[in-house]
Amino acid sequence: MATSDETDDRVGQTYRRRVRTRVRDATRRFRRAARPGWDRVRFARQDLTAATPTLPRVAYLFIAPFFILFGLFLAFPVFYTLYLSFFEYQGVGQGLLFWVDLGPLYVEIPRIAQLEFVGGGNYARLLGNELFWQSMFNTSYILAIQVPLMIGLALALALALNASFMRFKGVFRTAIALPVSANLVAYSTVFLLLFNEQLGFLNFVLAGVGLGPIPWLTDGFWARNTIIAAVTWRWTGYNMIILLAGLQTVPQQLYEAAEIDGANRWEKFRYVTLPQLKPVLLFVVVLSTIGTFKLFAEPYVITGGGPTNSTITIVQYIYRQAFVNFNLGYASALTVVFVTVVSVFSILQIKLGGED
Amino acid sequence: MRDQRRKDAVWRFLTYAFVIAMVVVMMVPLYWMLVAATLPQEEFLQFPPRLIPGTAFLDNFAALQERLDFVRTIRNSVLIAVVYTLLSLVLCSMAGFAFAKYEFKFKEPIFYAILATLVLPIQLLVIPLFLLMAQLEWTNTFRAIILPWAANPIGIFLMRQNMKSIPDALLESARMDGATEFQIFYRIALPTMRSSLAALAIILFLFQWDLFLYPLVILESADMYTIPIGLAQLTGFQRIYYDQIMVAATLAIVPMVVLFLVLQKQFVSGILAGSLKE
Repeated sequence: MATSDETDDRVGQTYRRRVRTRVRDATRRFRRAARPGWDRVRFARQDLTAATPTLPRVAYLFIAPFFILFGLFLAFPVFYTLYLSFFEYQGVGQGLLFWVDLGPLYVEIPRIAQLEFVGGGNYARLLGNELFWQSMFNTSYILAIQVPLMIGLALALALALNASFMRFKGVFRTAIALPVSANLVAYSTVFLLLFNEQLGFLNFVLAGVGLGPIPWLTDGFWARNTIIAAVTWRWTGYNMIILLAGLQTVPQQLYEAAEIDGANRWEKFRYVTLPQLKPVLLFVVVLSTIGTFKLFAEPYVITGGGPTNSTITIVQYIYRQAFVNFNLGYASALTVVFVTVVSVFSILQIKLGGED
Repeated sequence: MRDQRRKDAVWRFLTYAFVIAMVVVMMVPLYWMLVAATLPQEEFLQFPPRLIPGTAFLDNFAALQERLDFVRTIRNSVLIAVVYTLLSLVLCSMAGFAFAKYEFKFKEPIFYAILATLVLPIQLLVIPLFLLMAQLEWTNTFRAIILPWAANPIGIFLMRQNMKSIPDALLESARMDGATEFQIFYRIALPTMRSSLAALAIILFLFQWDLFLYPLVILESADMYTIPIGLAQLTGFQRIYYDQIMVAATLAIVPMVVLFLVLQKQFVSGILAGSLKE
């Protein structure tokens, strides 16, 4: 009897389960009918994913190594700088910030730095600091002259080397691009000597044509221009190569059409070359601007920021504050301001260059 | 007609004059560096300066090597730059492939977030990275120099832009033939990306080769110095030995020139493809 009862009950359970399933299915069908829009979206999405080669798991495997490093060494430091800028640094951290203890899995995150909260103090201090404004001015001055000068030269060279009558293009191109191979600090050292007031080759040449010695590195105005000359020397060829490659993508028919319309050299440049070259030109200008903003090694080696801080750049000022005076919090605030300025500048350039 | 021809001739002459003048300007510092490297200090510092190379290069090199193990410095720099370039090429091409050819959640926002970091100067990271490395006890190690920028935003941008040009049909047919996703990446995507990889390799190598501020902060002992740090140390001595510095500067150019000459052709087409296909 007992067994029969159990069997009965088991049959009953199965039956009830089956009923429940049917009811659930019916409810679903009813809902689906009631909300056709929602479902269409769902099916459309399913179709889409079936059509494109979508293998999310594989995709995650492909990007995981990149993201682990990116998160740890790029994203985290960016936010940590922002955090740090509200504190005063007291020393390398001791003790733990956070830990998880699950037997074999023991994770601990150490406290990176000993900090004291100062709120907006670092920012207030920076705005009132004369050297900050001086370094801002120096960087802006160098930027305002160096980038247009270099891009102008690079564009002129690219146009010249792209001209149909030009011979030995490969040789010229390689010679002009060679400076970019010179190590940053190595070429700075060479320029340090080249522009030396007594021993330098440049003043020797100037004396040869009857010009007095120029105090390249001991006068603020000249020192700033020496830095400009050095940076321009190194990067003109690099930009020329990119522009030259851009020029070669301009369709030849456009020039032929312009010639038929009787356009002269200037008009062909203004109405064909320039508009066609715009994306490449913009790319080069934005990268050069960011590069010049970040100027550090050249003034560090050539002038050391002197004479009387007339060539100190923002990054050099940050370096001094952070690693000479160990004001890491203050230096972080400087960095945040600096990055904001660079970003705004770059976005502005892209916006202005992208329109019309 | 004759007037036009004369105008053209003048134009050509001016163009050549400009290019040749620029070539001279570009070559003078390099030539002068070479001359200085081959002269003894006393001869070099004479006035007027000598302009013909001498024969003292090896002597100067020996003197340099005695003060700072420059061979080791070059070796460090090349080792770091090569490992960094290879690692970054692998990471960036893999991630770039995923961004170009797969769909996954938040793909676009993530990509633009990475792009935004392009604008950030790397100096921003020096302070937090220094603290992080100090905490990890990684200061004065090569891994502290190599790892932080291996996930390079320029790299992923360039690779994504270029990988987009690989036709989907090609990947699909490989899938039909039973290739795994990794085989597709390795056997199809990478070989077609040769010129972009070359361009990226030059950019990455140059970036690491020039890196100055960060190693200056991280590296402590002389046997770990890279070329920029070693050179900066040389100018810091009480008496500056210009001849030795010039030897070091000359030697520092060689690896980059070799790389540049070998990859120049691919560099041009590769960087262009990346910058334009937006």
